[in-house]
Amino acid sequence: MSLNPSPSVAAPAGARSAAAKRLLSWLRQLLVLAIPFALFGLFLLAYGVDPLELYGSMLVSTFGDLYGFGEVLLKATPFVLTGLAAALPAKAGLVNVGGEGQLAVGALFAAWFGVFYLGGLPAWIGIPAMLLAGALGGALWGLAIALLKVKGRLNETITSVLLNYVAVFLVGFFVHGPLKDPESFNWPFSPEIAPTLRLPIFDGTRLHVGFVIAAAIAAIVWFVLARTRLGYRIRVLGSNRLAAERAGMRIGRMYFWVLIAAGAIAGIAGMIEIAGIEGRLRATTGANFGYLGFLAAMMAWNHPLRLLLTAFVLGMISVAGNTLEIGSGLPASAVTILMGLVLFFILGGKRRRG
Amino acid sequence: MERENLLTEPLLSVRGLTKRFGSLTANRSIDLDVRKGSIHAILGENGAGKSTLMKMLYGVYKPDEGSVEIDGRPAELHPPAKARAQGVGMVFQDFRVVPALTVLDNIALAVEKGWGLRRRQLRRRIVDVSAKYGLAVDPDASVWELDLGQRQRLEIVKVLLMPGTRIIIFDEPTSVLVPQEVGAFLDMLRRLREDGYGILLITHKINEVLAVADEATVLRSGEIVFRAGQGEELAGERLIAAMMGDKTLKAVSRTAGGPDEAPAAMAVRGASIRGDHGELALEAFDLDLPAGRITGVAGISGSGQRELAEALFGLRPLASGTLEIGGKPMKPGVRSFIEAGVTLVSEDPVKESVVPGFTILEHMALDGYPLYPKGLGVDWSRLRAELTASPEAAALSVAAPDRRAETLSGGNIQRMVLARALIRRPGILIVSYPSRGLDIGTAYTVQRQLLEAAAQGAAVLLLSEDLDELFKLSDRLVVLAGKRLLGPYRPEEIDQAGIGRLMLKGESA
Repeated sequence: MSLNPSPSVAAPAGARSAAAKRLLSWLRQLLVLAIPFALFGLFLLAYGVDPLELYGSMLVSTFGDLYGFGEVLLKATPFVLTGLAAALPAKAGLVNVGGEGQLAVGALFAAWFGVFYLGGLPAWIGIPAMLLAGALGGALWGLAIALLKVKGRLNETITSVLLNYVAVFLVGFFVHGPLKDPESFNWPFSPEIAPTLRLPIFDGTRLHVGFVIAAAIAAIVWFVLARTRLGYRIRVLGSNRLAAERAGMRIGRMYFWVLIAAGAIAGIAGMIEIAGIEGRLRATTGANFGYLGFLAAMMAWNHPLRLLLTAFVLGMISVAGNTLEIGSGLPASAVTILMGLVLFFILGGKRRRG
Repeated sequence: MERENLLTEPLLSVRGLTKRFGSLTANRSIDLDVRKGSIHAILGENGAGKSTLMKMLYGVYKPDEGSVEIDGRPAELHPPAKARAQGVGMVFQDFRVVPALTVLDNIALAVEKGWGLRRRQLRRRIVDVSAKYGLAVDPDASVWELDLGQRQRLEIVKVLLMPGTRIIIFDEPTSVLVPQEVGAFLDMLRRLREDGYGILLITHKINEVLAVADEATVLRSGEIVFRAGQGEELAGERLIAAMMGDKTLKAVSRTAGGPDEAPAAMAVRGASIRGDHGELALEAFDLDLPAGRITGVAGISGSGQRELAEALFGLRPLASGTLEIGGKPMKPGVRSFIEAGVTLVSEDPVKESVVPGFTILEHMALDGYPLYPKGLGVDWSRLRAELTASPEAAALSVAAPDRRAETLSGGNIQRMVLARALIRRPGILIVSYPSRGLDIGTAYTVQRQLLEAAAQGAAVLLLSEDLDELFKLSDRLVVLAGKRLLGPYRPEEIDQAGIGRLMLKGESA
């Protein structure tokens, strides 16, 4: 945006004040992001850690070399997908906190199909098939929430949270039982999937193509919401259910399919964890990624493209946790304080504007 | 002028008050006096700047130019705490009350200062003020239980109990009242006047102004275009003319429909409808909506109007009975009703029709224009072209297509919703309170459009609380009273008093 000084502009004063307003709001958004880092800095000082040094090393390790940048993207990948699993339903007026469970069941399905059925296939067909298996698992978990919502009239926020626990225990059951690796010396994890099913990796990093898949899905979700007739209907429903009802929309059906789509997207995140990083299913695969994705979605105000950015920031903070642990002896989980502060201030910033 | 001022010195006097919002001048050099023991009415169409002026007088907005004097001394009203300290109270259109608290607690919240809460004393003051001005409110009722009229009385009691209140601003006070309450409200205004309060009454209802006001000021496009009173006689026609400006007002009336019964577009037999809490709202009624006719529905508000409108639009299933459109029984669900050509203008469009964040153009694709496809998306440019060319939208002067609907005033939202309903050229049009919140000029336009829709063959069901409107437009009238649907009656064969008796007492009258 540039200011046009030509005399044909009718109200240059108005235009300038609009630009000033934009600058001001931009500055305020920056401040909202800066305050939590300052507060967390005080916390670090109390523990004798130099915050500037930590933040500096955080930036250097993220942008300093390809490997570090790849690590951050790697961390951000599941947050993008589980974030979409929260953001898409949010646009329809639903609160899906079930990304956690949908990711877990997606990982379970991906591992199950990967270990037993897809091992002999070439990569170009095996990997997409495994991706579909993960999506199917997540979608099934979404289906449970959708049925309870539409047929049982149960609040999806509650059912999705509760089903998260069921999902985690379900994965636990499988890795201790039917899916346990017979050669694991009794450790609870599945056999490793075939090397052909592993996602291709970018040279010089641990980063795999999962991030590209996640970004593509985010772009598709954005396009559907912003540009299609379906997206228009979803946004009407999310903004005013009564108006959607009066326009003759099939509300139950829309809720149903949106929840299933969200489940499928989170399920793909589970598949990527298996095929991209771990290579096998563990009871802890993807733990907390669903909740962090929900956080990323809230920080992005459920905007699919902004979500890419907030997921990246959360990825950076997660990686910084490791730096913190190595450098200062504070536990890596100390950065969850920072995440909490960031969320708190972003929500507070919105409050004042609204 | 000199002599008048000697008679009653103004309590509040403003000169040259101007308020701009960006490039829009909402108020331009307004001069206004509010005198002790007198009622000053401010009239104007929607968007004339009435609300802006009131908000400046109550200190919500700071004027860009102009001066304010109270008792002849310069005064500052912004922020509202200052206005209140100088005796200016305001009764808002949307009440500022806490639904979970009782009446007493709500008043305490506004009136009591310091830490202690002297309930007994406050209760006595509430009872005293209520009795004195006929403002029946129960101090121990929770506010969520109260209807709009009771909430308004609470609001007025609150303002009266605030220490030092001398000037009271009423913002469209009668818009929330049922017709039966309006008379009592106007009586209360007269009593306040006798007790020396200076009253500023914002309204667009001419009859009320003629009934109580001592002075009237008419605003148009943010400027004062007419003043009357202080000795002069207030004349209705002159006020209307001043409000409307050079627009010519053609009063609306239908060309009497012949006695021939047109075929029923919609036929309801033996139907019962339940309310929100499962109680029967209407019992065992028959209703025909003939094509090309307007069927008016009269009734005290809350007699089942909303339930009836929603049931005939498929939003609310019939508890029993049958509903046929064009001779075919209807499947339940809004969608099949829309496909059968039914359109509803709901009684609360702000709540039920406005989608926050969406523009007027986007609203037009919700049960108005079809969602013209363009690839996977919507052909918004085609929609825009059709909306721009639409005679309905032009006649109702719908605001610009790119404005976000939640920023519009209630009147503008009403225009948008009505235009959308008419644009669809529905076979059956159910319209609730079409002229609520509209100024006279727009209300006439809406009424003409309804007659036009009927002339083109639509079956119109008109729910209204305005008997004049019902008699002017309806070919047949039904009355809702005591869970029954009475009629139809021919407007030629029954008068307003007759309908009024039916509304109050049902058929036994």
